[in-house]
Amino acid sequence: MDYTKYRLKKAEEISEILSGISRISVLWCRKCYKEFKEDSEPECGQLKAMLEGSGTEITVCQPVDFLCNNHLTGKILEQMQGDEPVGVISCGLGIQFVAGACKGKRIIALADSVPQSGNATSIVGYHGIALGPEKCAACGQCYLEITGGICPVVDCAKSLLNGPCGGASSDGKCEVNKELPCAWVQIYERLKKQERPLSSRVEIRNYNIFKIDEKIKQEKLNRNERAEGYYGGVHPQEMKDGTESIPLDVFPSPEKIIVFLSQHTGLPAKPVVKAGDNVRVGQKLGESAGLVSAPVHSGVSGKVIAIEERMHPVSRTLQPAVIIENDRKDTVDSSVKPVPNPDSLSREELLGILRDKGLVGMGGAMFPTSVKLCPPKPVDTLIINGCECEPYLNADNRLMIEHAEEILKGARIAQRLLCAQKVIFAVEDNKKEAAESVDRLKDNYPEVEIVSPKTKYPQGAEKMLIKKLLNRNVPEGGLPFDVGAVVLNVSTLYSIYRAVYEGMPLIERAVTVAGESAIKPGNYIIKIGTPFSDILKYCFNGKSADMLKQGCELKMGGPMMGIVQFDMESAVIKGTTGLLLLEKPVVEASEENECIKCGRCVDVCPMELHPHYYAYYGKRGEWGKAAEYRVKSCIECASCQYICSSKIDLLSFIKKAKKHVNNKN
Amino acid sequence: MNLEEKLKSGKFVITSEIGPPKGTNIAPHIEEAEHLRGKADAFNVTDIQSSVMRLGSLATCRLLLEKGLEPVFQMTCRDRNRLALQSDLLSAAVFGIRNVLVLTGDHTVLGDHPQAKPVFDLDAVSLLKVASGLMEGKDMVGNELDGKPEFFLGAVVSPGYEPQELQLIKMEKKIEAGAKFFQTQAVYDLAAFEKFMKTASKFGVPILGGIVLLKSAGMAKFMNENVAGVNVPDRYIKMMAAADKKERANVSIGIAAELIKGMKDLCPGIHIMPLGWEKHVPAVLEASGF
Amino acid sequence: MLITKIKDRQEVLETLKDKNPFVFKCFGCREVSFPEAEIDNLLQEYRDCVKGIARIDYLCREEFTGRYLKAFAGEISSAKSILVFSCGVGVQVVSKLLEGKIVLPGCDTHYLNGFQGVTAQNADCEQCGQCWLNLTGGICPLTACSKSLLNGPCGGTKDGKCEVNPEMDCGWALIYERLKSIGRMDSLKKSAVNVRDYNLIIKGATK
Repeated sequence: MDYTKYRLKKAEEISEILSGISRISVLWCRKCYKEFKEDSEPECGQLKAMLEGSGTEITVCQPVDFLCNNHLTGKILEQMQGDEPVGVISCGLGIQFVAGACKGKRIIALADSVPQSGNATSIVGYHGIALGPEKCAACGQCYLEITGGICPVVDCAKSLLNGPCGGASSDGKCEVNKELPCAWVQIYERLKKQERPLSSRVEIRNYNIFKIDEKIKQEKLNRNERAEGYYGGVHPQEMKDGTESIPLDVFPSPEKIIVFLSQHTGLPAKPVVKAGDNVRVGQKLGESAGLVSAPVHSGVSGKVIAIEERMHPVSRTLQPAVIIENDRKDTVDSSVKPVPNPDSLSREELLGILRDKGLVGMGGAMFPTSVKLCPPKPVDTLIINGCECEPYLNADNRLMIEHAEEILKGARIAQRLLCAQKVIFAVEDNKKEAAESVDRLKDNYPEVEIVSPKTKYPQGAEKMLIKKLLNRNVPEGGLPFDVGAVVLNVSTLYSIYRAVYEGMPLIERAVTVAGESAIKPGNYIIKIGTPFSDILKYCFNGKSADMLKQGCELKMGGPMMGIVQFDMESAVIKGTTGLLLLEKPVVEASEENECIKCGRCVDVCPMELHPHYYAYYGKRGEWGKAAEYRVKSCIECASCQYICSSKIDLLSFIKKAKKHVNNKN
Repeated sequence: MNLEEKLKSGKFVITSEIGPPKGTNIAPHIEEAEHLRGKADAFNVTDIQSSVMRLGSLATCRLLLEKGLEPVFQMTCRDRNRLALQSDLLSAAVFGIRNVLVLTGDHTVLGDHPQAKPVFDLDAVSLLKVASGLMEGKDMVGNELDGKPEFFLGAVVSPGYEPQELQLIKMEKKIEAGAKFFQTQAVYDLAAFEKFMKTASKFGVPILGGIVLLKSAGMAKFMNENVAGVNVPDRYIKMMAAADKKERANVSIGIAAELIKGMKDLCPGIHIMPLGWEKHVPAVLEASGF
Repeated sequence: MLITKIKDRQEVLETLKDKNPFVFKCFGCREVSFPEAEIDNLLQEYRDCVKGIARIDYLCREEFTGRYLKAFAGEISSAKSILVFSCGVGVQVVSKLLEGKIVLPGCDTHYLNGFQGVTAQNADCEQCGQCWLNLTGGICPLTACSKSLLNGPCGGTKDGKCEVNPEMDCGWALIYERLKSIGRMDSLKKSAVNVRDYNLIIKGATK
């Protein structure tokens, strides 16, 4: 079905409306709720043909995706210069929005809305987020119970509620429209199948069921919720109550650790140990290979078994790793020494220490911290990221509850290195205990402002957080320092504290392990390099093997942006925020599914992109065209995939389009 | 002379109003109209006023006619679609009813059957046009009528409505659609009314000033809060508040008389809406010098 | 956007107690109002009466719902009835797919301005098929006016608000202001008498 909501007005009407108008610019809506099978729609061309030789010139014919999307269309309107009238080809929603937004300009409706209900008695009928024939009149007093699931309001031409009129033909067709069956005959047949009689109650409709003030309130609430903090974003079920009260616990030391030489953005570390070497806790295993690189260290004492390739949990390709057999003595290396007087050190010395201790961003991106704290542009604000916006995860949450002081101490160092005037500690409002824990220390850290923004995924993404807290827009292709800000994750700040005040390099981190069938879910402090199989055994016992066989997924990270793991001998890295064993959904995302242009992906993309084009061009293998829709700006938050009504595997298309862009460069 | 002729003659016209009961007991209301025979020139009969279900205007108008009293058939657009409206206009004509006052009508939610389906298939402007068309012998879709009606069409205007320009624009549309006379919403401010009439009278169509008898200070305050276009000045509210129960009617009559006397020079007539105080209308007219 | 409110508690309770239903809980319209917490509390209270619960998004998507019916085939076949918490579209789809089963709605459907799938709007469109927006400077008289008047306001405007509810702006007051601001009062003054054609809804509807 094609639920296009508008139809170009007839030629006579258009020529009457436009008579005397010499120039117009035209906005036309690319339509919604029809299978996304072609890239363009004919109305603009039809209009041009109508106006040929008429005396009205079309200055520009601008297509707009989902014209009624106020935020995005508003941006297009801002760009439009000229004061000639604007013709709008869209349904009534789009025209009204443009008219309201372009005060002072004449807005001309060039299209009529298309009636949806087909029922002059019940004049409106709403389809679902599907292209099926069923419609709902939103009457607020559902009668489907007594009609076996056939709506008498929309399907009966007279919207009768107590049985048929006498008008149906002998073959059960409606007197109003002979193509349609009599709804009450259908209802009767359906109820017979269910061995139920027609209801004996007398039904009378109540037309006053919607209180206007309630409706207005609901709409305001919805719009405010959608626009909170930044454009787009979604509110998935948080699923945090499984582990939010479980304090941090040390995960049992593993038999061996697998320490990847690449656990950071940039060049992999160069190994400085070899097979047979004895190593101690905190000892360097690999050295930085360049400016944007980081060393890796051992979290256990024992013997290096080998340096060989293992399955990397991010790239899912084989990459070199140092395999160490744990002697369980926990002998600490001599290099693990607290810095005696950090305040007396120069910036360069401090940065050197952070670099040397292998610190990287622990929110997932793993960017070398020492490079991040030395930005090429001046920075006025340090943002402490305690959002942890992914569902299930509580590692950062527990860290804030139990180690707020250390985080703040680490933040002080970071602030000093950045020469930032302001420090904002952001804790999403679903973590009250964490916010309170930080708040208790605020007298000792008066430079820190604690903010609890309303929870909305993906608020923890740098660009969204900066928009929400500072109302600054990181430019396309730019980085936070372009607008004077740096964002650091609380785990990263904690590791800065440990590096400076304990001398301990990054060898372990807090990880949330969870999933519906976990027997020991929790927030564990796990040594970097601990194999996933150890964790599955401990937290899921024997169940995990069966679950994986049944197609459950082991995700490293959160359910939205987490990376699916296929090799259980892969291991925890510096960016492992969580390990989740999740049930397979009944309906999985697939590249095969068809887009129906419901517009929800565009509605929720926090980077203001048009994800449905990635699917459209992706399916056709036109990766170049997909890339034209700013795929480079995508942060892969998966909000689009989460909300996609067709369950399209949008992330898969996005990743392929990005690869195409990278290969070209 | 009928209402139209009286207006043409320049006589100061007085119309009153009947609100039919919720039920069939219409006799007392016809009685009260009797008391004004010779004093009121015509009697409006309201159409499910305030969206409270009552006996219909059509039947009541017919009963008035049978008594030799001249009715004004009020027709709202709230309850009937264009078929029923045209049909009821023809019925009115067949009953000998000539004066038709067309109005949009209060919304159903304001009345005692808030669950009812509001119709508003036509509005005052389109209904006037349709009625004019019937008079020319054609129904709304152009079919020839077998026997055409004759009406004296009227409409309503609200001098206190803000923004006034918008009300005047609609008034012009009503005139273009066939309105030949107007009755206004209740007036309490003669100065404002004069200002309104300066523009409105230019349209050349007679406008009867509306008078509503105040029953209490509470009613005045209620109208100020809830009834669009009605502004009872403080002075009158204080007067009503100061009067004790027995005196209230007299004070009310006094206020009405003051307003009517003030209107004599501003408009060609008045329309009194007693709202249940039909028995006081003779006194009002006497106090106003009629 | 279709939003739902849980049905009168009495009705739903009767279904839960007498009809041992299998429950479909649709949260598909996401990011709009869906009384999930209320429904969950109710189902928890009456968990002994319920054969099973399927939490599904986009229940109105037939292909997806079909897969859920397969996945829960056992529970569904043994249940006396199916209780569906979703908008009317979802209930109709489930009813269509399970023609022989008693399918009952657990919610009443309401509506937010702005159609399905695209965010709630300030304005609404009544799908009339004969757009009036050129006459009114871009404010829909059918949806902005409680009485859907086409030729100007009624007498009920008070302080720019509709007689039906003081929270609601008078649509024609808004239209008047808009036309003034764009210098198009001629549209209001000169237009012909406007009347709606309800036959367009039958003739012109999406089939």
